[in-house]
Amino acid sequence: MDPYDGNRFWPAINMVFDRLIGVDKDFNPIPELATEWSSNADLTEWTLTLREGVKFHDGSEFDSADAVYSIGRMVDPEFDSPVRAVLGIIESAAAPDPQTLVLRLSAPEADLPLLLADYRALMTPEGSAETVGDDPIGTGPFKMEKLDPEGTSRFVANTDYFFGAPKLSAIEIPAIADNTAATQALAGGQVDLLLSIDAKSAAEFSDTSKFTVQNIPSGDWNAIDFRIDQEPFDDPLVRKALRIAVDRQALTDLVLGEGAGVPTCDTPVWSGDPFRWDGDCAQDIEGAKALLKEAGYPDGIDVEVFTSDVEDNMVELVQVYQEQVKPAGIRVTLTMADASGYWDDVWMKEPAFVDSWGQRPAVQVLNEVYRSTATWNPTGQQDPELDAMLDEARSIADPTARAAKYQEIQQYLFENTAIFVPYHKTLVRAMGANVKGIEPIVIDAVRWEKIEVG
Amino acid sequence: MSIAWQLLRRAAVALLLFAAMACLTFLAVEALPGDACTSLLGRAATENKLEQCREENGLNEPVVARMVDWGCGAVQGDLGYSIKRDAPVTEIIAPRLRNSLVLAGVAGLLAFPAAVVLGLYSAQRRGSRRAKLLDTASLVMMTLPEFVTAAVLWLVFSIWLPILPAVAVLPSDATIGEILPTIWLPAITLAVMVFAHVMRSMRSSVVATSARPFVEAARYRGLPERAVLLRHVLPAALPPAVNVMAVTAAWLLTGTFVVEVVFNFPGLGRLAVDAISDRDTALILALTLFGLAVFILSSFISDTITRLLDPRVRAGVGA
Repeated sequence: MDPYDGNRFWPAINMVFDRLIGVDKDFNPIPELATEWSSNADLTEWTLTLREGVKFHDGSEFDSADAVYSIGRMVDPEFDSPVRAVLGIIESAAAPDPQTLVLRLSAPEADLPLLLADYRALMTPEGSAETVGDDPIGTGPFKMEKLDPEGTSRFVANTDYFFGAPKLSAIEIPAIADNTAATQALAGGQVDLLLSIDAKSAAEFSDTSKFTVQNIPSGDWNAIDFRIDQEPFDDPLVRKALRIAVDRQALTDLVLGEGAGVPTCDTPVWSGDPFRWDGDCAQDIEGAKALLKEAGYPDGIDVEVFTSDVEDNMVELVQVYQEQVKPAGIRVTLTMADASGYWDDVWMKEPAFVDSWGQRPAVQVLNEVYRSTATWNPTGQQDPELDAMLDEARSIADPTARAAKYQEIQQYLFENTAIFVPYHKTLVRAMGANVKGIEPIVIDAVRWEKIEVG
Repeated sequence: MSIAWQLLRRAAVALLLFAAMACLTFLAVEALPGDACTSLLGRAATENKLEQCREENGLNEPVVARMVDWGCGAVQGDLGYSIKRDAPVTEIIAPRLRNSLVLAGVAGLLAFPAAVVLGLYSAQRRGSRRAKLLDTASLVMMTLPEFVTAAVLWLVFSIWLPILPAVAVLPSDATIGEILPTIWLPAITLAVMVFAHVMRSMRSSVVATSARPFVEAARYRGLPERAVLLRHVLPAALPPAVNVMAVTAAWLLTGTFVVEVVFNFPGLGRLAVDAISDRDTALILALTLFGLAVFILSSFISDTITRLLDPRVRAGVGA
């Protein structure tokens, strides 16, 4: 249950713990454990006011010392939490008084509130590193009664919750690994809610008197990455040709299923993000041919793409891509790699490979995947111009001007990037018709205390 | 050669076979790409973290040393430690084994007695309309994939007349009492298949035996049909059916992956599927060897029973 650990029990951490800052359904930052925040003029120092009178499940008071401790664990290079990729920009955290938290950054960051709204950036009690895994004490709407990741875990209401007592007295999370078994459990009324189902099983729940199905555009995406440090992908003309020869809408429908994805023009920023750029990237076979010719490949090129069934959709993506780009003279060979060694031996190593990422806000995904100095820089890109644009964007305080800059960056990527991003996935959530209070938004913004089962 | 000596020799061969297979399995798991640490860390695997994890878990020792270590532990009942699940393998397997035994037991009780009786009936009355119906039904049952049976059972028992839970939703430490209500659908699915196999083998074995000269001879001697059946046909027809039952029982205990996954039943089959998808090597190794042991043991037992049942063997002739 350690929220900063890579092997966290993800369905439950947001029931037990709270963030400093949450997000509303339009992904604007809203108060959670912090009630107000502001920065200095150059956006390098942020001051947060913490909510008063908040108690942990064990009755102890939540204050700035706990916040300093939690952030310290998130950014500890030794512990190397996955959250560090998000908040690593925080250089130090200080607690001048119990209700005030001061964060100093290594570079200006206008969107720090959004980064703090990462669903894992949760507040744990001071000194809890050793105990939080088995005996999590949070401030959240539910307290853990029993952790049983392979059986049924149980969480009971925290009636003292600062946003008001939860409407449910308890939530049980059973482990059902198989998709068919899970849909049967809902169909037979054994469970009330499935956070995510296969888009193809949604038809089973079409009876609206019994079930509610929500289609939730998300920020999860797949990609085919081409290593910039290898020929012929070092040539931006080739890279663009590889990307514009595709009919993205058709590819999305074929790979994910009808309506199960939102096509995108090689931007990793998803459709719900206020900084998203929506360009025009219709299939252009002639354009791709012309670009290849200009780059010195009049007879087309051969590309070997590595993929694996380590996750859903990763093989289908290459199969559909292979067919669609054929007329442009791009001859794709699909090479299957073993699932167990994929992230170790293939990903970021072979010249071209399939990639998969979870949802992140614009500022985070662009810096984590595209910046030259990023821990993960899957294509080996070294582009000082892009880095300068990213630096500039994060230091613009005005949201409108910042959005314009981020959109300019995405447009720049469409011309240059070596990461072909065809779609963002749409999640399908299914529940009994008697379940109320779940907004059709991604898990980051679900308010567990507001859910009722009638 | 006495029966006891024969059995002893067979037991020794079975043990040797098991030891050889254990070594092979260990090396096969070893040869898989990646190890317990790469699977635990996944995409977060940096050189440093991998090295630290391997060091902590003794994965840097040479293969042979680890194999010997594992073997010595296994002999004393220690099947290793699952890094992924952070628990000793025996502790993970024990409750799952109990659940699988209960499931196999219920399925076996539903299937075996009915299969023997109806197999005998269908052989005796072959050609009759009822026997033909029974034969056709068993053929259909045998070829029906488990997930089709499962879908039909769901529709009938958990949606139309909702009297049985569709899948098992249980805590890991569920008691047998808590498990029983969820056991019926998976047990019936398994029983359908097992029944068909055993019934058909029973039937063909009875048919074959009935045509043998000693049965004819018994009839000529004027024995009533009932006595021919019970005293002459059955003893000779049972051993082949017992063989099939033993293999089937072993399968019930170790081969129920699809059924357990589809019904979310917390037995060994689902554990094995989870272990493979998590690449939990210690657990995969232990479960594979457990499966091996069950099969070797079941063929040993069926062999023994066959020998004891066969009148020729008992009389010390032939064999």
